[in-house]
Amino acid sequence: MTTVSEASEKKPARGLAEGGAYQKLLAFASLIMLLIGFSIASPNFMQTSNMIAILQATSVNGVLAIAATLVIITGGIDLSVGTLMTFCAVIAGVVLTYLGMPLLLGVIAAIGAGALCGLISGTFVAKMKIPPFIATLGMMLILKGLSLVISGTRPIYFNDTPGFDLISRGSLIGEVFPALPIPNGVLILFIMAGVAAYILGRTVLGRYAFALGSNEEAVRLSGVNTDMWKMRIYALAGGICGIGGILIASRLNSAQPALGLGYELEAIAAVVIGGTSLSGGRGTILGTLIGALIMAVLTNGLRVLSVAQEWQTVVTGVIIILAVYADMVRRGKTG
Amino acid sequence: MFTRRFLMGALSAVALMGPASVAHAADELYVPLVSKGFQHQFWQAVKQGAEQAATEMGVRITFEGPDNETMVDRQIDMLAAALANKPAALGFAALDSQAAIPLLRQAHKAGIPVIAFDSGVDSDIPLSTATTDNVAAASLAADKMAELIGGKGKVAVVAHDQTSRTGIDRRDGFVNRIKAEYPGIEVVTVQYGQGDHLKSTEVTKAILTANPDLAGIFGTNEGSAIGVVNGVQELGTAKDLVIIGYDSGKAQKDAIRNGLMAGAITQNPVGIGYETVKAAVMATKGETVPALIDTGFYYYDASNMDEPKISAVLYD
Amino acid sequence: MKQLVEMGGIDKFFPGVHALKGVQFDLEPGEVHALMGENGAGKSTLMKILSGIYPRDGGTLKIAGQDANPTSPSDAQDLGIGIIHQELSLMNDLTAAQNIFIGREPRKSFGRLDEAALNTQTAEIFASMNLALDPRALVGSLTIAKQQMIEIAKALSFKSKVLIMDEPTAALNDAEIAELFVIIRRLKAEGVGIVYISHKMDELKQIADRVTVMRDGEYVGTVAAADTPISQIIAMMVGREVKEEPLNVPDLGDAEVSLQVSGLTRGKDIQDVSFSVQKGEILGFAGLMGAGRTEVARAIFGADPKDAGEIRVHGKSVAIKTPTDAVKAGIGYLSEDRKHFGLATGMNVRDNVALASMDLFTGTGGALDEAQMESTAKSYIAQLGIRTPSDVQEVRLLSGGNQQKVVIAKWLLRDCDILIFDEPTRGIDVGAKSEIYKLLEELASEGKTIIVISSELPEIMRLSHRIAVMCEGRLTGILPGGKSTTQEDIMYLATQREAAMQVTGTVQ
Repeated sequence: MTTVSEASEKKPARGLAEGGAYQKLLAFASLIMLLIGFSIASPNFMQTSNMIAILQATSVNGVLAIAATLVIITGGIDLSVGTLMTFCAVIAGVVLTYLGMPLLLGVIAAIGAGALCGLISGTFVAKMKIPPFIATLGMMLILKGLSLVISGTRPIYFNDTPGFDLISRGSLIGEVFPALPIPNGVLILFIMAGVAAYILGRTVLGRYAFALGSNEEAVRLSGVNTDMWKMRIYALAGGICGIGGILIASRLNSAQPALGLGYELEAIAAVVIGGTSLSGGRGTILGTLIGALIMAVLTNGLRVLSVAQEWQTVVTGVIIILAVYADMVRRGKTG
Repeated sequence: MFTRRFLMGALSAVALMGPASVAHAADELYVPLVSKGFQHQFWQAVKQGAEQAATEMGVRITFEGPDNETMVDRQIDMLAAALANKPAALGFAALDSQAAIPLLRQAHKAGIPVIAFDSGVDSDIPLSTATTDNVAAASLAADKMAELIGGKGKVAVVAHDQTSRTGIDRRDGFVNRIKAEYPGIEVVTVQYGQGDHLKSTEVTKAILTANPDLAGIFGTNEGSAIGVVNGVQELGTAKDLVIIGYDSGKAQKDAIRNGLMAGAITQNPVGIGYETVKAAVMATKGETVPALIDTGFYYYDASNMDEPKISAVLYD
Repeated sequence: MKQLVEMGGIDKFFPGVHALKGVQFDLEPGEVHALMGENGAGKSTLMKILSGIYPRDGGTLKIAGQDANPTSPSDAQDLGIGIIHQELSLMNDLTAAQNIFIGREPRKSFGRLDEAALNTQTAEIFASMNLALDPRALVGSLTIAKQQMIEIAKALSFKSKVLIMDEPTAALNDAEIAELFVIIRRLKAEGVGIVYISHKMDELKQIADRVTVMRDGEYVGTVAAADTPISQIIAMMVGREVKEEPLNVPDLGDAEVSLQVSGLTRGKDIQDVSFSVQKGEILGFAGLMGAGRTEVARAIFGADPKDAGEIRVHGKSVAIKTPTDAVKAGIGYLSEDRKHFGLATGMNVRDNVALASMDLFTGTGGALDEAQMESTAKSYIAQLGIRTPSDVQEVRLLSGGNQQKVVIAKWLLRDCDILIFDEPTRGIDVGAKSEIYKLLEELASEGKTIIVISSELPEIMRLSHRIAVMCEGRLTGILPGGKSTTQEDIMYLATQREAAMQVTGTVQ
C-alpha cells in the first residue's frame, strides 16, 4: 500500500471550511457596515419605522430571490419569477374578488398556480431540453400577457376580502411585542427562508439541487431520475413565487397586472450578492437573504440621505459588481 | 478587504453625491415629492417647477419616482423612506391610491400635511390636489381634431396606458366627446403603447396599415405622440394625417413647427410642481389651501407656441 | 554540450504547503528526459515554473546558459519553451489551423484574416510531422489522439527548443503511441529537448534517455533509462518496492450467469454484440480507441439508446431505457471520465457515496438522515481505504485513486452486483493502481460481476479472467485470461477490420 501524500490533501480542506464561514461573515459584515454607515450619515436612518420599512421593502424581492436561488443552484436560471409573482397575484384576485371564495382558497390557488407554472417551466427545461434562459424568458412573457388578459388589464382590488391586506401589512409580532410592529410580510419572508434553507440543506430535493448544479451527467449516470427532480425544483420555486404574489397583492391590497417585469433581475442580483454561483452547485439561502437586505438597505439609505435618484441606480450597480468581484477574489485565493 | 472596499465604495459614492443634503441646516423646511415617474421630460418639468418654488420659499425638496408607472410597490418604498426623514410636508402623486393608504394614514397621524399632484390620490387625507383636468383637456383635443378634419372621417387613439387615471381620463375624454358631439367622426380603434416611443411607433404603423383612410390620430402623452409622428414618418404614406399630441418636449415641439403634427394639448407641469410645493408650505404654516388647484391646460400649435403664455409652460 | 535547461534548488510555497523543496532538473538538447513521480509529487508544479505559469520562490533557472525568469506562458514561449498540457486546451469549434495559430493569425490589411496562409502554414507543420490531417478539420470532430497531435503541432509552431509533454499518451492507443514516438524521435534528432511526464513504465524504456524521479516535492534522483530496472524506478517513486502479484484465474465452474447481453446493436458503433459474464468473474474489454467498448457499456447501462438487443440480468430479461432502470436491475457504471460523469466534484465524499441511494436516507417529508449518511460514508472509507481527511472533504480535492474508490463506494452502497469499470485507473498513479486492482479482485471474489474496459493491455492482462476484444463496433473474439493469452493475440483481434477479415496475417 502506498502512502499518498495525506498532508497535501488535508490542507485545502481546512482552507475551504474557513473560506465558507469567512464569506458568510463578510456578507453579513458588509450589511452591518452599511447600516452603521447610514446611521452615522443620517440621524433619521436608524429608527424603528425605517428599519421596518427596509424589511418590508425586502420581503417581496427576498421571497423571489429565494425562488431564484433554488433554480440557480441547479445550474439553471429563472427569469419568470417577477411576472409569475404577478400572475399568481392576479389568480388570487380572480379567486377572491371575482369568484368571492374564502381567503384560504385564494392563497392556495395562488401558490398552486405558481407551482404549476414552475412545473411547466421545469418540463420545458428537463423534458424538452430547452435552455433554462430561453424557457423561462418565454414563460416570463407568457405570464405577463396572461396576467393582463385574465385581469382585463385592470388592477383587481381585494376590498371585499376582509383580512387579505393583513397577510402582509398586519403584524402578529406587533400584537405580542407592541414596540416591534414587524409586518407579517417580513415574518413570512423569514419563515420561507427557514423552510428553503431546510429543504436545501436537509432534504433529498436540496441535495439533488446541488448535485445537478455540480455535475448533472454524473447524477444521471448514478441512476437518478434527473428530469423529475429538476421539474420538482422548478415547481417548488414557482410555488414560492406564488407566495411572493400573495405578499405583494396583500401589500398593495390589489393585484397590479402590469407589474413584475424587471423584478427577476433584482432577485437575481440579490442571489449573486449573496454569493450563489450563477454556474450552479454553490449557494446559500442565508446569503441570498443578506443579499436582498443589502440591496434594500442601500436603496433606502441613499434615499434617506437624499442622494439624487440617478446616482442611486449607479451606486447599486457598482455595489453588485464589487460584491461579485470580492467573491471571485476570495474564491481565487482559497480555491 | 471585501468589507472595507464594499463600504468605502458605498460611502464614498454617497459622500460625493450627497454633500448638499447632509450639509443642510436642520431648521429648514423639508418637503419630499414622491412622483409617478422620474426620467420622462414631463416629470423633470414638474421637478423644475417644484425646485423653483423651493428656492423662492426657502425650503428644501427632494423629487423621486419609480422607473416606470407600473412599479406600485417601489413607489411605496420611496414614500416610506421619505416619511423616515420626518418631513414638514409631503407631495405625492399616487400610482395606486389604495396601496398607499396605510402610509398616508401614518403621515396624517404624524401631522404631516399631504398635497397630491398630477392625477391625485383617492383619499380624503390630502389637503389639496394640484392637477390638470384631463377629461376637459382631452375633450379640447377632440374639438380641435374635429375642426381640423372637417367634422367627418375616421380617427384613432394611441394611448399610453389602460390602467392609470390619466390614461383612462384622456382616452375617455377624447372618445366620449367625439361620440357626443361629432356624429360624422368614427373612432376606429384605441391602442396602447405604454408611453414608450418605440412601442407607440409600432402601434401607429399597425393602425395605419389596417386603416389606410385614417384622417387623424390622437396621442395621449409625450411618448405616444412622438411614437405616432415616428410611425407616420416611417410609413411615409399618410402625409395629410392630422396628429394631435399631448404634453411637450423638444421632439414634439419640433414636429409641430415642421407641420408634422397639427398641435398638442399642454398641461402645465412646471405649474404643477410649483403649486404643489407652494401649497405644502402654506399648509405647514397653518394657512388654508384650496382642495383643488387647477393648474390649467392649453392647446398649442405652430401659430401660438411662441407666445409667452404658452412657451412658459412648454418644456424641452 | 550546453544544457537547454538548468534548474537548481527550486523552492515553491503555496499557502500552507511547501510544494517544492530545493528541486533540481536539467535538460540537454536532443534528449528525452522523463520526469516521474506519483500524483502530488510536484512534477506539474516544477514544469509550471519552467513554463512561466507560476513564479518560483527560490532557486536558479537557466535556459540555454542564460539566467531566465519567465513570468508568463508567452514569456516562456519566447524563450523557446512549449508545453502540452495533460488536459487539452483546444477550442473545439475552431479548425485545427485556427487553433494552432490562435492569437497570432496571419493577417491581411485592415485586420482581415488570411485563412489561406493560415492553412498553408499549418499544412507545412503537419507535413514536417508526417501527419495526414486536414488543417480545416474542426477540432471537436477529431479523436483525442489527433487533438494531441494538434497540440504538439501548436507547440512546434513556436519553434520551441524545449517541449514539455504532460502524460501525452494517457488517451492514446498503442498504434497512436507508436506514431507519437516517431514524432518524438524526429524532434530529438533536430536537437529539441523533451521533458516527458508519464506514469507508464514501459514507455520510458522505449523513449526516454534519462529519468528524474520526484517524491513529495523533493528531488529523489536521476538515472539512465536504459540500464535501470523498472522496479528500481518504482521503488524510487513510492519509497519502497511494489510487488506485481500474479493473476490467479479462479475456476468458476457453473456459477450463475449474472449478465447476458445478446444482439446489442446501435448504428455503426455497436454491431450485434453478444456476451455473458458469470458471478465472480472479471471480464476485460480490450480494443483500440473507438472500437465501441464504452458505447457498449453505456448502451447496457441505458445512458445511450440502443437499436436492438436483449439484456438478461440473473436470467431475467430486463428493459433498460434509462440509467435509473439499470440501477434498479443492479448494474452500476463507473465512467472513464470521473470528473464529468462520475462525481459531483463540488460536493463532499459523503454526498457522493450517497448520490445513487438517497432513498435509503430519506425520512418523511424528504428529510435526509445525515447521521446515517455519515456513518455509511465512514464505513466505506474504512472498508475501501479511501484516504480523505474526513467524510465531508470535497471530492475534487482527493487524488484520482481515492476519487475512483468514492465512485466504487457509491455503487456498492446501491447494492449493484454488476459493475462496469471504464478505464478504472486512468490518471491514477502507480501505487494506487495496484490498490484498485486488488479491490476489483476482492469484489469479484465476494461474488460481484465485474466488467473492466481498458486501453492498457498490461492492465487487461493483469486483471481479466476472460478477455473480450472489440474492433470497429464488433466483438471480434473472447480469449481466456492468464498466461495462455499474449498481447499479440489480443492485438490481432483488435485490428481485425471487416475488410481485412479474410486476410490471414500476423500482427506484430
